[in-house]
Amino acid sequence: MPSSASTDPGEVSDIDLVKRSQAGDTRAFDTLVTKYRGRIYAMTYHLIQNETEAWDLAQEAFIKAWRALPNFKQDAAFYTWLYRIAHNVTYDWLRKKKVQGDGEFDDERTEHRVAAGAEATPKGDATPDTAMRNAELGQRIQEAIARLSPEHRQVIILREVEGLAYEEIAALVPCSLGTVMSRLFYARKKLQEQLKDVYETTL
Amino acid sequence: MKPPSEDHDLIRWLDGEMNDTELAAFEARLKDDPVLAKEADDLRALSAGIRDHLPAEMKVPHADFFNSQIQVRIAQMDLDEIRQKQTGATSLADSFLAWMRKPWFATAGAVALAVLGLVWMRPHTQDTAHSLILSSYTPGLGVEASTYHDNEADATVLMLDGLEEVPADRKISGISVHRSETEPEIAATTLFDAAGSPLLVISRDAVGHPLFLTNTPRG
Repeated sequence: MPSSASTDPGEVSDIDLVKRSQAGDTRAFDTLVTKYRGRIYAMTYHLIQNETEAWDLAQEAFIKAWRALPNFKQDAAFYTWLYRIAHNVTYDWLRKKKVQGDGEFDDERTEHRVAAGAEATPKGDATPDTAMRNAELGQRIQEAIARLSPEHRQVIILREVEGLAYEEIAALVPCSLGTVMSRLFYARKKLQEQLKDVYETTL
Repeated sequence: MKPPSEDHDLIRWLDGEMNDTELAAFEARLKDDPVLAKEADDLRALSAGIRDHLPAEMKVPHADFFNSQIQVRIAQMDLDEIRQKQTGATSLADSFLAWMRKPWFATAGAVALAVLGLVWMRPHTQDTAHSLILSSYTPGLGVEASTYHDNEADATVLMLDGLEEVPADRKISGISVHRSETEPEIAATTLFDAAGSPLLVISRDAVGHPLFLTNTPRG
């Protein structure tokens, strides 16, 4: 499960900030928001691939966290608890929006984001501008992930970006360990299919 | 496609979820099976690519506004909570600020709140002899507001020109602001009554227009 961000010496600890927030100190909570907004926003953005909605959902997660703070017993790290709230907020939104089904190859949702130069770049090609190639590759990966179904996208983000263990993913989603493994496998196969010109070697 | 168990082995190896025994057995299989080894290499490269291109932390657009909106919503929730408690109480609470619910008096109410708020948003040089009006704001274009300090009453007098005629028998009451707290970080000021309950939160919206969260019943 994601842990709290590294803290600088002298920085007020999450525990102190949480205690002050629980006592109604909105400035302490504002410090927590500043500390974790980048990670929460990244998670919501990766899951829904829309800047405006991700911004709103990240904010909603912090609001819900504030309301739930009186019930936070500090038996888990604050960020872990916050992350779970943000994940649930985002996934509820996805469910309501029904951006699902088999969302892969849903060009309508992602076509406008395709960069002009985002054509396949065969692995091993000697591209002069490495930075440009890298940016194009990043764009293609994001587009491929956007085409996954929410369930597949969810496990990929939780595993590859957040680094959660299978058991943590299963608890968060929630689903069985077998389902986590199956979704991860099929999500990767679908990504591989879309990015085979980049990540497939020949025997 | 291979049986699910083999698929699971592959991704468990990829994700480091195997124990030592399982790992040794799977790596032996990789040596003997070039097709499996190729697939493992491809998936590992894909995972590395995803990790490289999807940051775990991103810059939040308009980060300051992001924070301030959260603070405003928290203040609004607090006020809503107080409002709910008050609506369940006696009619004394309802009569307090009841004038603000009169439709014809909405403009005047907004103006009064705005000016009162701006009075209390003055710098923290507490000078009880004068009121410092930084600016005033009237939602109605036909209404003009002006103010002056009445030394005898030790009060700020608000003059509103352009309102519809107010019936002579109309009883008007106002807000008794006891103290204020300004949060510079979120550019918001909260006004409190003598009992310490928040009456009004004053802030600005995204385009700089005044934003008032009042402790008054809806309707």
